[in-house]
Amino acid sequence: MFMFQMKQRNDIPSHGNLVITARIEITWLREMKPENLLLLRHRSEKCTVGCPVLDRCLGGGVPCHSITEFVGESGSGKTQLCLQLALSAQLPSSRGGLSASSIFIHTEFPFPFRRLRHLSRAFRASHPDLPDPCDRVFVRAVHTADELLHLIPTIETFLLHSRSRWRPVRIIVIDSIAALFRSDFENTGSDLRRRSSLFFGISGGLRQLAKRFGLAVVVTNQVVDFIGDGDVRVGNLSNGLYSSGRRVCPALGLAWAHCVNSRVFLSRDEDGPVRRRKMSVVFAPHLPHCCYEYAIKGEGVFGVDMQREQD
Amino acid sequence: MEVGMLPISASKRGKLLAAGYTTLDAIARASPSHLARDIEVSDNEASEILNLAAKASASEKPNETHTTVVGGGRTAWDMLNDEKFSSYITTSCVDLDNILGGGIKCKDVTEIGGVPGIGKTQIGIQLAVNVQIPQDYGGLGGKAIYIDTEGSFMVERVLQIAEACIEDMEEYRNHFHKDFQACDVKMHPNNILENIFYFRVCSYTEQIALVNYLDKFIMENKDVKIIIVDSVTFHFRQDFDDMALRTRLLSEMALKLMKLAKKFCLAVVMLNQVTTKFIEGSFHLTLALGDSWSHSCTNRIILFWNGNERHAFIDKSPSLKSASAPYSVTTRGIRNSTSNCKRIKMMNTSGMVLCLLCHGWNLKLGWLYLRGTVKFAVSFSYKELRSYLLPQVWFICYFPWLQLETGSTGVVLHAWLR
Repeated sequence: MFMFQMKQRNDIPSHGNLVITARIEITWLREMKPENLLLLRHRSEKCTVGCPVLDRCLGGGVPCHSITEFVGESGSGKTQLCLQLALSAQLPSSRGGLSASSIFIHTEFPFPFRRLRHLSRAFRASHPDLPDPCDRVFVRAVHTADELLHLIPTIETFLLHSRSRWRPVRIIVIDSIAALFRSDFENTGSDLRRRSSLFFGISGGLRQLAKRFGLAVVVTNQVVDFIGDGDVRVGNLSNGLYSSGRRVCPALGLAWAHCVNSRVFLSRDEDGPVRRRKMSVVFAPHLPHCCYEYAIKGEGVFGVDMQREQD
Repeated sequence: MEVGMLPISASKRGKLLAAGYTTLDAIARASPSHLARDIEVSDNEASEILNLAAKASASEKPNETHTTVVGGGRTAWDMLNDEKFSSYITTSCVDLDNILGGGIKCKDVTEIGGVPGIGKTQIGIQLAVNVQIPQDYGGLGGKAIYIDTEGSFMVERVLQIAEACIEDMEEYRNHFHKDFQACDVKMHPNNILENIFYFRVCSYTEQIALVNYLDKFIMENKDVKIIIVDSVTFHFRQDFDDMALRTRLLSEMALKLMKLAKKFCLAVVMLNQVTTKFIEGSFHLTLALGDSWSHSCTNRIILFWNGNERHAFIDKSPSLKSASAPYSVTTRGIRNSTSNCKRIKMMNTSGMVLCLLCHGWNLKLGWLYLRGTVKFAVSFSYKELRSYLLPQVWFICYFPWLQLETGSTGVVLHAWLR
């Protein structure tokens, strides 16, 4: 019917047109049914990040079926948090985890194996009943954005196969997405267009995976210095994002901001001898704006319970 | 089909029109003797006209598809009448409802766009919940279709908003319809969840296929009163080399949605993303998908930050004047922005707090709960407010309530200052 109408209007259906029409027809043939939200309710799972205070800030942890972004300057603890998440995902659901493995895609080198080892030792000490957590973190290096885009189908087949052999993979971490786009692209119209179409391609692929396998996808992003006043305000923080006393904004611009579901900002400030780190929700469909302090210790990243401190 | 099409003499046609028989329907309803008297012809001639009219209207129906332009044509008068009875879906933010003329209008396609984190998805969820407010409470009592392309639809958030909505309705019932038994049907958040048909689409082909399928789906589920597409943009911003094809697919989809809106008398809300556009040497923020897309929606609302406040601006609408209104996103959903209400008077009357908030000529009434914190519970539509505009009316209105209340509940009067 669709094709017929096109011919009637004297459109010469191009090759692309026909392919799309065929695809639409095929999708149509598949029975389309709405999902029952009452059943979905049990599926809106969260994965703990390994600290109850930070979990509270994130409304229970990192949500499955969506993309969460941690953005912050270097040394703010993004990678630490991601490593900790990859470990705590292995906890059983009674302890807030997903009892699942994780895929860790790193674009900055080298991969912090020693730090992971450290964290896993602390993890084993507190949860002696679980096997070696390092066995269930799959690490993969990616150098360019195109490589990441082409990796997504590979991940899909891997996820299909790993279901039976290991515990299912429920976490994908990409650390960091910004590093992929920092070098290869110039500030010209065509390059920017190619860049943003890559953004949407990668994000679309990741969202599809997240939906199909119930994954929690976590990406980290860097910040750039805020220059001038031409920038667009995104999210809750009215006075802009500040880190180390400088005003910053997340890298990759407005187009990428549309590609993530939630954005969490990690900042650090040298306040004399004391180093203060803060985690704040910039935007998220399920969370109000909130702000928590945290500290990085040998055993991992921990939130500072403000109320207890006040008492 | 008009009387003018009948194969009769011009003088008779003129007489018919002068007597007020403008449509075939009107003639068909008249008896021959009536018609003969009205247009001053013999009974025979009158019955002849009736026969012709009956034939014409009978022949018209099967051929409807060929004469859609003629048959489907309606006068502006009819449309104006329809307009009076058109229904609106409240946004739960009175200021926003005011500039929209009562809320999101059925039969229209409305596009809402803004930067990430401004509250597009929140408005979408709020509308999906509000469309289910029963008719007793001034709602539509319909169901919603939610097409999620981005995965931002969080069930826990829907539950929060649904619970707040139910609380508000109970509050409304307790204060205004104490004797109103019809409102006793208790709604449960689970019912609200059940009445949202949620589709998660993962590619643009799925999105188009779903829109094609909706016609059949709504036929089976007649109660659907709103379709929300969150967002219409996402899948169309990836892997499209052929921009002409993209434009074609998009306008085809918009046309289908528009047809659905008209056919089933439902509201279509499309959420859109923003992008920067290079105009005359500087970058401006515009909604995504380009200029040709901007023609495909009837109404266009842009959400933006103004200082520390969220604002909605009517960018394009055939019937509304362009205006902007503040709103806020709270745990309970979309609500009035509270920061610009200046509190000018506060008095305590027998354990109850009366606040008079000043914000211009418009006056608003709402309920406050005073369990430790102050919280805004119910607000009224503009039309209801109009009846409370005179000061003496308020006194009549709120004193009986005061006597009804126990110590924990208070009455608030807001006077809004522009």
